[in-house]
Parts: sequence; structure tokens; C-alpha cells
Amino acid sequence: MLLFACCSVVADEQVSASDIVRAAVDHWRGISSYSEMTMVIHRPDWERRMSMQAWTKGDERSLVRVTEPRKDRGNATLTNDNEMWTFSPRINRVIKIPSSMMGQSWMGSDFSNKDVARADDIVDQYSHTLLSTMERDDHTVYEIESVPFEDAAVVWGREVLLIREDHVVLEHRFYDQDDVLVKALTTLEIADMGGRTVASRQRMQKTDEDNEWTEIRVDNVEYEVNITDSLFTLSNLRNPRN
Amino acid sequence: MRILIKLAWRNLFRNHRRTLIMLSAITVGVWAMIFMTAMTQGMVTQMIHDGISVIPGHAQARNPQYGDDPTVNNLLPVPDSEIAGRLEGGGFSSWTTRLSVPAVISSERESRGVTLLGIDPEREADFTFVEIDTIDGRYLESVSDEGVLVGAKLLETLKTKVGNRIVLMSQTPDNDIADRGFRIVGVFSAKVELWEETWVLTGKETLQTMLGVPDQVTQAIVFGDNYRQVDAVSDSLRKAFDDTVSVQRWTELDRYLGTMLEVMDGFTLVWVVVIFLALSFGLVNTLVMAVFERVREIGLMLALGMRPSSILGQIVIESMLLLAIGLALGNVLAWLSVKAFPDGIDISIVAKGMEMMGASSILMLDLRLQDVVLANSVVLILGFLASLSPAWRASRYDPIEAIHKVD
Repeated sequence: MLLFACCSVVADEQVSASDIVRAAVDHWRGISSYSEMTMVIHRPDWERRMSMQAWTKGDERSLVRVTEPRKDRGNATLTNDNEMWTFSPRINRVIKIPSSMMGQSWMGSDFSNKDVARADDIVDQYSHTLLSTMERDDHTVYEIESVPFEDAAVVWGREVLLIREDHVVLEHRFYDQDDVLVKALTTLEIADMGGRTVASRQRMQKTDEDNEWTEIRVDNVEYEVNITDSLFTLSNLRNPRN
Repeated sequence: MRILIKLAWRNLFRNHRRTLIMLSAITVGVWAMIFMTAMTQGMVTQMIHDGISVIPGHAQARNPQYGDDPTVNNLLPVPDSEIAGRLEGGGFSSWTTRLSVPAVISSERESRGVTLLGIDPEREADFTFVEIDTIDGRYLESVSDEGVLVGAKLLETLKTKVGNRIVLMSQTPDNDIADRGFRIVGVFSAKVELWEETWVLTGKETLQTMLGVPDQVTQAIVFGDNYRQVDAVSDSLRKAFDDTVSVQRWTELDRYLGTMLEVMDGFTLVWVVVIFLALSFGLVNTLVMAVFERVREIGLMLALGMRPSSILGQIVIESMLLLAIGLALGNVLAWLSVKAFPDGIDISIVAKGMEMMGASSILMLDLRLQDVVLANSVVLILGFLASLSPAWRASRYDPIEAIHKVD
């Protein structure tokens, strides 16, 4: 306890950029979480909404299951470590997403499979530097530049994160290697849910497509819920028992 | 016999205008046969040379399952370090080993399926990519080079440039994802655009580490002296390994090129025969006319006691002399015109189309003795057969009727 206290004091004085990022990821995911959310995929001539439930445990495991619309109900995605499987009740098959498809779009959205399966790569595949600290709406906001390691499986030249001192990620910008902004994940709304302050509406948008974006709206979230490991198994992916 | 040859020779020049026309027809025909054959053979030789120098080699040793499933799961059962010992002294003009797996290359904006080759740059420099110039950046430096070499076309598709990082993703033998970032160190241009889109090269050891298969490769590639005679090479490659490895010749590895070679050899014969058929109408016509003009003369010779077989011989010899002179001129002309293009013919106007076939835009001529012999013997044999009919008719004339024939 004493040790913990001492360390947190040190951290307060000299906040390292990677600690901020780590804390933000932990804050968002918790040790375990259950959430209900809506994904809105917007295109110039159409828009579709999907409601889903998501469970996460640790950094590695997550399960997402679509509840609405009816025709997509039961579509599910399971990630474990760096692997990813999908299940579609219509064909009654579990399909492992091969590495070749990790870069492709997840359920037709602006997120790639990789964004979903490997969201925590930001912690260990990058070197982080604190660019600046600013004040915005009574909050301290850290601007952190994350540059991927030379051999990291990341195509971006650098990423810039705006993180509030209460661990809410305000913005996540992706730059190519010529330092041109390619896409950005922006937090549009922040709310208190499940006992934490979290981003409740986030939008992923490519810079060169004005009218194309995907929004994730969190309707409800609970943290540190008790989730059994058996939830994150292929058999549960196929036959939901939760 | 000498008399017959003398008669035939003199007869040839009785109507010298007709003979000259026929002679020029034969000359042009023979020239076309040989020159066009040299052109198609040159094209095929080059396509095959380019095709097999880039990928299959003359013969390859690989896991028997690799052909159906070319992934890291089907490695050669022999460690890479041991292969060198087995291949030395096998009578190969050069050899190398490669680790070749399917992969996905992604830049910030695009991703593409490619074949990722882990190569030994020093060994490969002997043959493979000497024809593929590194147009920008540098070539790979060693087996542990951590840079990648991509084709110019792929670079364009990925909207990236030399010096930028890309991510390559493939699978380990346990079906886990193996991926890492690489920096593009060089760009190569290939004669065929498809290769620029397909091949991504990196150091062999770098790829082995990434896939978690140290000291393992997917194929051993050997070259002999002549791409048409690869049996010896593939036999000695088979000897270097045991039965757990399948050894295949390039004709089996690249069916398209292998079939092309067979088709072209057959095509040469068809081409020669078709030209000859056109020629033979002229030849037979000339002989028929020659016989027709000389009906009275032939009748007189028969009446004086010349045997019909001598008449037949005389006319056949006349036709063979005509063909022989035509062949000689045609051969010389063809040889001269092949020599006139020592650097090949530039057909870059149709380069796009040629590229699609896998050929390049400079057409090298390949004059092969066997094609010349084929053309000459086809002309002589078929010419002999064609001249039999008018000669036979001439020898069957009734002397009395023939003498009395009024022109």
C-alpha cells in the first residue's frame, strides 16, 4: 500500500507519455466490461445502424454480438490475443479471419478488423512523446505523439492522441508517412456511465471523404463485471449462452 | 544421268522469265519460313528465359504439398544450411534457396496480396534479378537485410515511395498471424508488369525470423546450361534429395511456358508447310506449263528411244534444281536479314500487348539450325512429291500423238 502510494506520487509529478496512453486504454476497457452500443455507418447515399453488445476481459479478449437489425442479429466477432473469428448464424459457420483480411473493414464500417482485434497495440508497439499540455473546458489535455517502432506492424507514420487527465481520449489522429492526416477518431460526446467518465459517441472519419464516417455510440456500459472465461470461446461464439 | 541433268538445267533457262519469277517466289517463301521461325523462336526463347530466370529456375526441389498449397506449412524437409552441401558438385551452373510465402502488403492507403520471397541476394545476383533492374534505391545486401524490394507498379498501387514503411502480413506454421513493418529500400522494374505487382523481396533470414521458421526454406532452385535440356539437371537434383522432396522441371512448374514451347515447335512445322503449300501451286503450275509447251519435244525424245523414266527424271530434276537455287537464295537472304538485327527488333509500338503475353518489347531473333534444316527438307521433300504429277503425265505421253500435237 505504501509502495503504491509512493509510486502514484512519482507518476503525478512526472507523467510519462506512455503511462498516459496505458491508463487511457485501461480506463476505456477496464479489467472487464460489458457494454451496449450502436454503430452508425454513414455513406453519401445510405446510412445503417447496428446495435450490439460487447464483452471485454483484459487486453486480449473481447466478444461483440449484433442484436439489431433483425437480419444481422447473432453476427458475432470474437477476438483473443491477435486472432479473430466471426460467426454468422445465416451460414452457421465460425470463420477465422485470416491475416490477409485483418486490414479490411469490420462489418462494413470505417474500422478495420485490426482496429477491433488489436486496439491495444498502441501501448506496446509505439514510442510515445508528450508534445504539449493544454487546458480545455476545465480539463488538462495531453497531446501525445506516438511513433510506431521500426518493425511494428503499423502503416502509419505517426499517430497523435489527445487525452484528458481523466483518461478520456478526445481525439486519435492517424498520419501517413508524409505527415498527411489520413483518418481521425474524434470523441463527440462524453458521459458518465458505469461509474466512469467515458467517451459515449466517437466518430471515425477518413480525411478525404467528407460524407463517410462511422460512429460508435455507447448506450450503456458496466465495468469490472464478473465475466467467465468460457464466454470467450469458439463454442460460445457459435452457441450463445450468455 | 549427266545428260538428264544437263537437259534439265538448259530447260530451266529456256523460258528464263518464268524461271526467274518462280525462283523469286521460292526465295521469298523460304526466306519467310526461316525468318518468321527465327522471330517466333526468338520470342519464345526470350519469354522462357525471362520467365524461368525470375521464378522457377530450370528445376526446383520442394515439398510435395507445396504445389497445391504454397504456404509456410509446406517447407522443404531439409534444413537450409544442409542444402548447400547437397547441391555442391551436382553439376549445376548455379543454384539458390528461397522462402516463398503468400503475404499481404499494406501501406497507409491500400493493401494487396503478394508473394513474399526471402532470398539470398548474393546467390540470386548470379541469375534471377540481374534482368530486373533496381530502378530506385538499392538492391538487397545480405540474407539478413531487413529492407524490402518492391516492383514499380506495386509501389504506385500502394501510393507509397522508397524509404517509407509498409506492413507485411503472413502466417506462421501454427496459423498465427506473423506481421511486421518493413522499410522499402528499393524498387525494381520488370519486363512484365505482372511481376512488378506480384513479387516482394526481402532477406531470407529476416523472413525466416518473422515466420518463426529458422533455417527453413520452401524451395531449392537450380539452373543448368540449356533450358531445353533440363532432364540431367532435374535428375541430379533428385539425387541430391531423397523421396520426401518433389523435384520438378520448369515445364511442369510453369505450364504456360512449357506448353508454349511445345506449341511453338509444332507451330514452326505448320508454318513451313503452309507457306510451302502456297508455293507448291506456283511450282506445279510452272512445271505443268513447261511440260505442256514441250509436248512435241517430249514425243520426239520418246520416239527416238528415250525411256519414260528418263523423261520423268528430267522433269523432276528440273524442279529440284529450281527449288535448290531458290532454297540457296532464300537461306542466304534469311541469314542476312537475321544478321541485320543483331540487337533484336524494337516492337515497342505493341509493347503493351506483348507484355500481357509475358514477352518483352525487343524481339530477339533466334536462328536455329534445326529450324533451317526443317524448312529446307520440307521444301525439298514436298517439292519432289509435287513435281511427280506433271512429270508422270509427261512420261506417259504416247509418242505419236505427242509429235502430232499442234500448238
